[in-house]
Amino acid sequence: MPRAAEISVNEREFILQGLKENIRLDGRPFDAFRSLELNFGDEHGVADVQLGKTRVIARVSAEVTAPFVDRKFDGIFNISTEFSPMASPAFEIGRPTEAENILSRILEKAIRRSGALDTESLCIIAGLKCFSLRADLHVLDHDGGLIDASCIAVIAALQHFRRPDVAVEGENATIFSIREREPIPLSILHHPICVTFSYYNAGGIMLVDANLAEEQVREGEVVITMNRHGEVCQIAKYGGVSVDALALLNCTSVALEKVKDITKFIQRRLEEDAKKRDVGGLIAELSAENAR
Amino acid sequence: MAPQALLSPLHQADGSATYSANGYSVIGAVNGPVEVSRRDELPEEAAIEVNVRPAAGVGGPRERHLESLIQSTLRHIILTRAHPRTLIQVTLQVTSLPEEESSVGDGSGFSFSSLPVLPPLLTTATLALLSASIPLSTTLSATLVAITAAGKIKCAPTAAELVRASAKVSSLHVFAFSVGRALLLAESEGDFEFGAWESACEVAEDACCKSVEGMEVDGEVENGQEFLRGVVEGKVGREMRWRTAA
Amino acid sequence: MTSAQTIVLPGDTIAPNALPTSANPNKPLTLGPGLRHIPPQTITTTIAGALSTDSKKNAAWIEYNSGRYTPSTSDLVIATVTNSVSEAYSCTLTPYTPTVTLPHLAFESATRKTRPQLANHALVYARVVSASRDTAPEITCIDPSTGKSEGLGPLKGGMVFPISMGMARRLLSGRKGGVNVLEGLSERLAFEVAVGRNGMLWVDGGNVRTTLAVGRAVQEVDTEALGDKGQSKVVDRVLRGL
Repeated sequence: MPRAAEISVNEREFILQGLKENIRLDGRPFDAFRSLELNFGDEHGVADVQLGKTRVIARVSAEVTAPFVDRKFDGIFNISTEFSPMASPAFEIGRPTEAENILSRILEKAIRRSGALDTESLCIIAGLKCFSLRADLHVLDHDGGLIDASCIAVIAALQHFRRPDVAVEGENATIFSIREREPIPLSILHHPICVTFSYYNAGGIMLVDANLAEEQVREGEVVITMNRHGEVCQIAKYGGVSVDALALLNCTSVALEKVKDITKFIQRRLEEDAKKRDVGGLIAELSAENAR
Repeated sequence: MAPQALLSPLHQADGSATYSANGYSVIGAVNGPVEVSRRDELPEEAAIEVNVRPAAGVGGPRERHLESLIQSTLRHIILTRAHPRTLIQVTLQVTSLPEEESSVGDGSGFSFSSLPVLPPLLTTATLALLSASIPLSTTLSATLVAITAAGKIKCAPTAAELVRASAKVSSLHVFAFSVGRALLLAESEGDFEFGAWESACEVAEDACCKSVEGMEVDGEVENGQEFLRGVVEGKVGREMRWRTAA
Repeated sequence: MTSAQTIVLPGDTIAPNALPTSANPNKPLTLGPGLRHIPPQTITTTIAGALSTDSKKNAAWIEYNSGRYTPSTSDLVIATVTNSVSEAYSCTLTPYTPTVTLPHLAFESATRKTRPQLANHALVYARVVSASRDTAPEITCIDPSTGKSEGLGPLKGGMVFPISMGMARRLLSGRKGGVNVLEGLSERLAFEVAVGRNGMLWVDGGNVRTTLAVGRAVQEVDTEALGDKGQSKVVDRVLRGL
């Protein structure tokens, strides 16, 4: 079995010494994210996020299925995170690592269970037909901060996605292809964003967006998910030393600042993308005609 | 649209490449030679593992089929005996599909062939192997050829062309060639006669390989081998900048 | 070295006139990495890169800068100790590759009693003694001819910075490598470095700030492939910033 790369004693001591002197390896302040890039694909619903050297692609796709028997009025939404050996030979297909489990659990809590997506709007005919939406997450490059990058990618991809238009007549539903009718954006109720804090010195030092080396020497992590209105969706703390409650409170206020910045950034990139697509205002014209 | 490629866009993998052509975009990564599990260890050569990951969903029989085709092709161009008892891991992630193929499954009921995605996958794998400096016996280039019912041969058709003429395309073929114009892979689908296959093979050979000296026929179409060379030249040039920089 | 670069792809045949011609006809042609000989007369490439030749040594090889490090004899490497077995330490040179062995007695004036005790995940600067593809490679911290360490041994403190294999080669090849950033920085800063062919640079400047400044300056020269002038600019900027 390929063994995971472990950090050397020298690097560990150096990083910790640096943190004591208020210096991070890449010279960032403790509460700064790495440079964030967000690009959309040619198709709707593909978001490519680069956070420093970490790179994640989220892809949202939809198909028509029957809803679950016990949830007749809801569509289906799933997030699938399967790591491939692309990011690291330690990731094996079909054998999830702990990091993969934690990531999928947090995204589940942060996005799905916080009700970010209005699943009722995905229902076509109650009990018979609904849209089944899935978000596939592809980790291409892993240099720490996977949870934060993945959450941004999924939220951005959901906002970018357009589902096909439908017309319902009694028991019959017609699904129009992209060529026939302008597809419709999803109804998203709020935009949760994750901010991961890595702590050292029993919470004395809190780092935002640690890179892989910093993650390897941390005592523990706290993941806070909230939206730009300051509503906390979930807080998770995995393992490590106990943390002072006040330090945690402080984290939430830092997180709010970051969440506001990131939400604004995603919005800006979405608008830029829409402008790029809307060559000559043709699409705007078409959608105006279709409005009923 | 002309094909585009980028070498070594990823940091963690030993070698990587992105390639897009005809509406397909693939990102590939190569790790190796790395430690192999005892189960897969080969005493005298490197084991090759190919993972194909679809744009949406998890891999199914179609991906397994593509994986086995790519694996057996790569096994012949990688000098596996240079690194015995190791593993060379090739991961290919499809990042975007032509509209015609991605809209499959929205109820239209049209099932798309698995052959059109094969040439971009093979090209990406080759580029990623070049980026990882894995010793190869040759450089591979691949193309798709369609034969219509009327007997017309169309090289590297776009997905739109395949769908529009969906009733008329009688067979699809994928060919891969080495630098020395040796046929490395031939995979066909549909009804065709041997004569048609042979002429399709010839068309593919011209599209993949450098034209024989003194036979510069069409300057406008860049062939597969020349394209790969251009990509590598760009990368080596960037890395060697310090030699010429003041 | 040829000035005009020939870029080759695997499978290309090297024309006889591109190969070096030695004045001494008895000196055999040496083929370096990336080239292979197919009897009787064909020489083909296996790696994409720039063809380089040296007519004095009658040698030809392919210059390339990416991929994973594979050990070859007499390379200087920075190894990480993973554990200690009966007579030797197991070390890794790159992640996810089989371990290499470093005998307990392969240190300067080491005996069973006085050998250095290395903790797991400690770093050592060593030289590859043997690297055949059929056995596990062995590394050593002494020069076999003198029995002295010659600068090899455990690395204490400091920090390692990943660099490309091409950069490691440049740093180790003296003036030919065209790296002057370290000389420039050493005019005002005091630091120690060790360069591993496995793509690692160890720097110890005594304190965090100096170590980081040196390591990141070299990384910048590496990623931007800077020439002389670019490197002087980096040196100026780093020294001003401190």
